[in-house]
Amino acid sequence: MASGEIENSDYQQKRWHNIRKLLERSGPFCHPDFEPSAEILDYIMNSCKVLIVGAGGLGCELLKDLALMGFKKLHVVDMDTIELSNLNRQFLFRKNDIGLSKAKCAVEFVNKRIPGCEAIAHHCPIQDLDDGFYRQFHIVVCGLDSIVARRWLNGMLMSLLQYNDDRSLDQSSVIPLVDGGTEGFKGNARVILPGMSACIECTLDLYPPQKTFPLCTIANTPRLPEHCVEYVKVLQWCKENPWGPNTGLDGDDPQHVAWVHEKAQERAMKYGIANVTYQLTQGVLKNIIPAVASTNAAIAAACATEVFKLASSCCANMNNYMVLNMSDGVYSYTFSAEKRLECVACSNTTRVLEIEPDATLQVIYDKLCEDNGYLMKSPGITTVINGRNKTLYMASIKSIEEKTKDNLKRRITELGLYNGVDLLVADVTTPNTITIKLKFSDSIDIDMSR
Amino acid sequence: MIKLFSLKQQKKDEEGSARAGGSQKKASAAQLRITKDLNELNLPKTCSTEFPDPDDLLNFKLIICPDEGFYRGGRFVFSFKVGPNYPHEPPKVKCETSVYHPNIDLEGNVCLNILREDWKPVLTVNSIVYGLQYLFLEPNPEDPLNKEAADELQSNRRLFEQHVQRAMRGGYVGTSYFERCLK
Amino acid sequence: MASPSPKSPEQNEKSKQYDRQLRLWGDHGQSALENGHICLINATALGTEILKSIVLPGVGAITIVDENITSDEDFGCNFFLETSSKGLNRGSETLRLLLELNDAVQGHSVQEPPDQILKDNPDFFKSFNTVIATSLNEKLIKDLSQHLWDLNIPFILCRSVGFLGSFRIQFKEHAIIETHPDNERVDLRLDVPFPILSQYFDSINISTLDLKDHGHIPWIVILYKAVQQWQITNPDRWPMSRKEKNEIKEIIQQYIRIDENGVPITEENFEEAKRAVNTALLPTFLPVKIQDLIYSSAAINLTKDSSAFWIMCSALRGFVEAEGKGKLPVTGVLPDMTASTEHYVKLQNIYRCQAAADAEIVYRKVQQIVSQLQCDTMSDTEVKLFCRHAHDLHLIKGSNIALEYQPGGPVASYIARHLEEPDVMMVHYILLRAADMFRSEHCRAPGEWEPESDIAKLKNCVSKILTDVSCSPFPKDDHIHEMCRYGGAEIHSVSAFLGGCVAHEAIKLVTNQYNPVNNTFVYDGASTNSATFTF
Repeated sequence: MASGEIENSDYQQKRWHNIRKLLERSGPFCHPDFEPSAEILDYIMNSCKVLIVGAGGLGCELLKDLALMGFKKLHVVDMDTIELSNLNRQFLFRKNDIGLSKAKCAVEFVNKRIPGCEAIAHHCPIQDLDDGFYRQFHIVVCGLDSIVARRWLNGMLMSLLQYNDDRSLDQSSVIPLVDGGTEGFKGNARVILPGMSACIECTLDLYPPQKTFPLCTIANTPRLPEHCVEYVKVLQWCKENPWGPNTGLDGDDPQHVAWVHEKAQERAMKYGIANVTYQLTQGVLKNIIPAVASTNAAIAAACATEVFKLASSCCANMNNYMVLNMSDGVYSYTFSAEKRLECVACSNTTRVLEIEPDATLQVIYDKLCEDNGYLMKSPGITTVINGRNKTLYMASIKSIEEKTKDNLKRRITELGLYNGVDLLVADVTTPNTITIKLKFSDSIDIDMSR
Repeated sequence: MIKLFSLKQQKKDEEGSARAGGSQKKASAAQLRITKDLNELNLPKTCSTEFPDPDDLLNFKLIICPDEGFYRGGRFVFSFKVGPNYPHEPPKVKCETSVYHPNIDLEGNVCLNILREDWKPVLTVNSIVYGLQYLFLEPNPEDPLNKEAADELQSNRRLFEQHVQRAMRGGYVGTSYFERCLK
Repeated sequence: MASPSPKSPEQNEKSKQYDRQLRLWGDHGQSALENGHICLINATALGTEILKSIVLPGVGAITIVDENITSDEDFGCNFFLETSSKGLNRGSETLRLLLELNDAVQGHSVQEPPDQILKDNPDFFKSFNTVIATSLNEKLIKDLSQHLWDLNIPFILCRSVGFLGSFRIQFKEHAIIETHPDNERVDLRLDVPFPILSQYFDSINISTLDLKDHGHIPWIVILYKAVQQWQITNPDRWPMSRKEKNEIKEIIQQYIRIDENGVPITEENFEEAKRAVNTALLPTFLPVKIQDLIYSSAAINLTKDSSAFWIMCSALRGFVEAEGKGKLPVTGVLPDMTASTEHYVKLQNIYRCQAAADAEIVYRKVQQIVSQLQCDTMSDTEVKLFCRHAHDLHLIKGSNIALEYQPGGPVASYIARHLEEPDVMMVHYILLRAADMFRSEHCRAPGEWEPESDIAKLKNCVSKILTDVSCSPFPKDDHIHEMCRYGGAEIHSVSAFLGGCVAHEAIKLVTNQYNPVNNTFVYDGASTNSATFTF
């Protein structure tokens, strides 16, 4: 088919016939502010930038779903490469693709399949991309299996929030985060409006802790095959260092897994424990979470529906957390996870402290203790300069106090502090470490976004 | 309801120009939390901390010098490594001093429930410090990592005490050599 | 340093590829899936999304029945079509692209209209394990569901319109052996210990154990001993009430040793025993559900056409009445607990041995029945699995989709009850049905051209259905209006959600594991709500 024909507007009209009905017609359940128009589809196709974090089980589905909901300006970030065990659900990859970048492969496939889709791949850890990168997106949707990565992303989106002078949130700085997760036949999807609704850190309790066994059970009274594998992993490996002291246990190295399997079997034999299989060994070593195409498809689709609603306002978003369980029938439940007032991430609204540029750190310390807005008891003050953490003063830890007490006498500019820098201050008087932005009193304009 | 469609259309068009310039990297949730934990650290008089790099609050050492019990007079160093998933996951704690103790093995692994299976995000560095200190006051032969030591504590307390003393002075207990760790 | 060369076997290619799902349904579930053949009627976006999640895990074969030619609208929401598919048969194009996902899957495409097949070659459907259909007209829904009901082939009827979707599973009955319950009840037999278990209990004397062993005996032993002691003053009784259970806890407390200062020593196994008092003292019994199963006529009146499930149920009844003395075979599963390896492994072996012995008896009974009936035999692994899960067997009796279209029947009053509640999800179901009716009356979806003008017509369809179920009309037109707004649009993400769910249900049906939806699921993507109805 000639490319001219693809651009043909009649074709476009027909092709997006389905979603246009939702975007160009109003309904009785629409929000009163919703104004149906053809511009919305234009916005979705040509302006709305969506970042898909992860190109695995959920990511592949999300990319396909969003591309078929009209989104063209899609970015995908994933640091992983394709493995054989991905192919039972990550449907954009084939056996020939094993070893290639997930993000690149997924993007290439979808751009080819769906004419007009302009997805862009980033084959790197999410932490390698800076705030300038994240700020360009209207919506971020994530399908990750790692809690650390989720927390990092959550923190990043929180840090992009801007506040007005009256400390109210500037809504245009909000980048909604739609998050999905699955485990076997169970999953969840949620919508987070940073600074407005419950965030990842608010609901950290919802993530089950990783299953661990008491060390003494592993060492002395193993009963389960898992105990035998854990013994080799936690205790025997570093004792024997089978590949030399510099080689750590790698659950992706089949030789390592085989070694652990063999040793775990020996141990199991000694104790009369049955069923230490290769599959189980690998499961324990890599903390493998079962995964199947169907659950991923359903959860990703629920997330994509929410992205579509956010971008178009054609329907109110879910409020704000859905759990799905498909192991006994199909059951879903949607509830409103509550924003925690003392949340370390999203209630940490930056406060501003005005200071003379030639002041010493002692002046700041005294202000924190004496100013009516603070009245702190023993503030510990740290900051981040050039991406490095720096401890400015902390009285409670003797060894740190000794090494940092001289800082009090020094001028703040000598310490590397600048106009607009963030100080992290911990004190018994606040439930969390708070962020305080320094504003030099002779400078007028200060970029509050940084 | 947040109306991205009308709210964002303009702003993103200007992307790139408005926000140019250096940016301050934000502290992670783990960093914020550990700062809070440490600022409120309330050490018992037998404990102290050492920060090889005061700017790095995620890696430090805890020194315990028990003033009663089997281990009185000893000096035991523990290393703490706080990971990016703190406090969802506990810090990794190892004993760097070789010690003859039922709950600490010769590689420095420590059997303390809150370091593994019973860790909860509401616990703090302080909780671990108290847990470790308790291990020296009340070694627990029920949950042994050093089985020899545990059996001995249960069957012959006097012999156990002698062996602890010998180990702390520096010397062999059985086939294992212990470095001197008396203050 | 020389590299160690461990001898452990590596997994083969297939078990690597399917590793993440084998952890859910096992090798036997996988082989059931690989022997399955699924038929899809109409390769809409919903249809292909369903097949996608069935092809990926490795179903044996798929057949797509679709007479339609690919249109521009199809590209807009169906991932398994490409620009070059335009003008070609939709079924064969989607099949080609679906099969790229997994080279182990066989595929067939049939371009005849389904009503024609029904007329000319009704046996066509016999070869499938499950038939799935999307976007059927009302007449075909009725004819096909009746036909598949008569053939006894499971059928899943699916709909996706706007933010709404539904699926309805039809089968006569479906028996599940492995239901994978989230909380399986442990089967410990403390009240009726079998001989080797009592011998083991009797071999232990808590008061004479040395302190180390004392802290390492399993809580099961402690609990058993406490009850025994309690029974000295309460002969021939079993602690049932809260008061009696507290007495047991007190006895356990007395077992705890004290140190030289008179302080009780914390022993984890005794703490576990106290915690278990409330749950583990439930007497062993034959669950009513299982009793109903083994005494149902299908299990009593066997024929040579009886399924393996019913033959095993019959053998199980034989066991319960004779060797089992009213109880099911021992499951042989021991939960983890604080204990020395020696005690734990010994106890575990005792339960496992008894489970194996019980299963062996059931297996012999199965063999007897099989030889009497002269029907296909089954393996001992199959029977063992059945016995292992005998406490959680589940049978779903299905109902015919045609019942939903019968005025005044039990399904009608069920629908009416939910509408009166009022249950908005049932309102959605009515609207999906009304949209079908509208389509057969007007040859287009409600609101396909213009929403407002179709409201009255769709309202008319709704009224007819409501009259059939003896319900008064909806007080407001808002849901009718919303359905007209959708104008029959198929929204990809809504179809993808349902596609995941339906694929999942089909896999449950084919593998005979996990309970499927019984029997209707309704989804509203606008409110992110779902409901299950049993028609």
